[in-house]
Amino acid sequence: MENRARYIYGVAASARTASLGPIGIEGKEVYTIPYGGFCAIVHSCPSEPYQSGNEEAVKKWVRTHQVVLDEAQRELGTVIPMGFDTILHSRDDAVSPDQLVKDWLKEDYKRLQDIVEKIKGRDEYGVQIFYAPGLLAKQISDESQEIRKIREEMASKSPGTAYLYKQKVERAVKAEIERLAGEWFTDFYRRIKGHCDDIVIEKTKKADKNRVMLLNLSCLVAREKVNNLGEELEKINSMKGFSVHFSGPWPPYSFVAKPVAPVKEEAK
Amino acid sequence: MNPTRDTHATLVDLLDRVLDKGLVLDADLIIHVAGIPLLGVKLRAALAGMETMLKYGIWQDWDEAQRVAATKEYRQKKMAPTPEGEVATLGHKSARTGIAAL
Repeated sequence: MENRARYIYGVAASARTASLGPIGIEGKEVYTIPYGGFCAIVHSCPSEPYQSGNEEAVKKWVRTHQVVLDEAQRELGTVIPMGFDTILHSRDDAVSPDQLVKDWLKEDYKRLQDIVEKIKGRDEYGVQIFYAPGLLAKQISDESQEIRKIREEMASKSPGTAYLYKQKVERAVKAEIERLAGEWFTDFYRRIKGHCDDIVIEKTKKADKNRVMLLNLSCLVAREKVNNLGEELEKINSMKGFSVHFSGPWPPYSFVAKPVAPVKEEAK
Repeated sequence: MNPTRDTHATLVDLLDRVLDKGLVLDADLIIHVAGIPLLGVKLRAALAGMETMLKYGIWQDWDEAQRVAATKEYRQKKMAPTPEGEVATLGHKSARTGIAAL
């Protein structure tokens, strides 16, 4: 029986009917379904989502999803990425799955145009900045007047009292790092934003034992500005106690989820 | 510094994006499992394990985001009717899915 669904990798700003070969998930043949100035990048599949309890299998699918988008971008230009497991499915025998995809492209045409306008010539980059409290503690306790004062008092105390003072210093250092983190955040964010056309502040995550994630950003960057961003990040990365994770280029996953304009029908 | 796409160093970056983001389709058209759109939720579960998901609030976040999105969509539909009285659904009513048994 013919597959009633289409797995959609993304939509390219190209009217081409093309076959990208058997590069899809589980070796599926990937092809395009054009409508107007767009084409959906799809493979034919049964009306079931891809699910698995096997972590390696899932990772492989996710990587393949990305590989297909990379290939589509090379072949077709600007690509709007879909998330994993976006499957359109037709239950009406009178409507072929390919037709259903065309109908969707037609329906969403204005939104797709707006998105392409926004992402054209740009890529997404992930920027995460970490600090190492252990490495910063000494410098901070040298620079803070308050902490210096506690340490001076500590010098003249008996070992027992000095121990309490030591704890006091540690608490003061921790509080000072927290205060400074706010300043670092504002400073780094401002510097990075200057090189981006759009930016999304992501939730920070638990980092490893010695590092704290200060900033987690998705950045939409024009291709000619990537080097500038890289230079700015290099400056931050070379500061003592700080490190930067800079990933990409990614398809602009973080900048296509929300409609750029209200989704409503234009008066025809 | 130069950005990296090294497969091992950036797996988390990739998963964060491919599983949680990307263009969202009209909910009427995509495949559902008992009303839950399959935007990688199952896969998060497969990858992280349900306990981890609950611990780190992935599930709650997702649930919250879905509620917000659903409410917004509902309002938009109510507030911006087209001449035909329909917004953002294709003509094929039968395209509504609900593969509840999956």
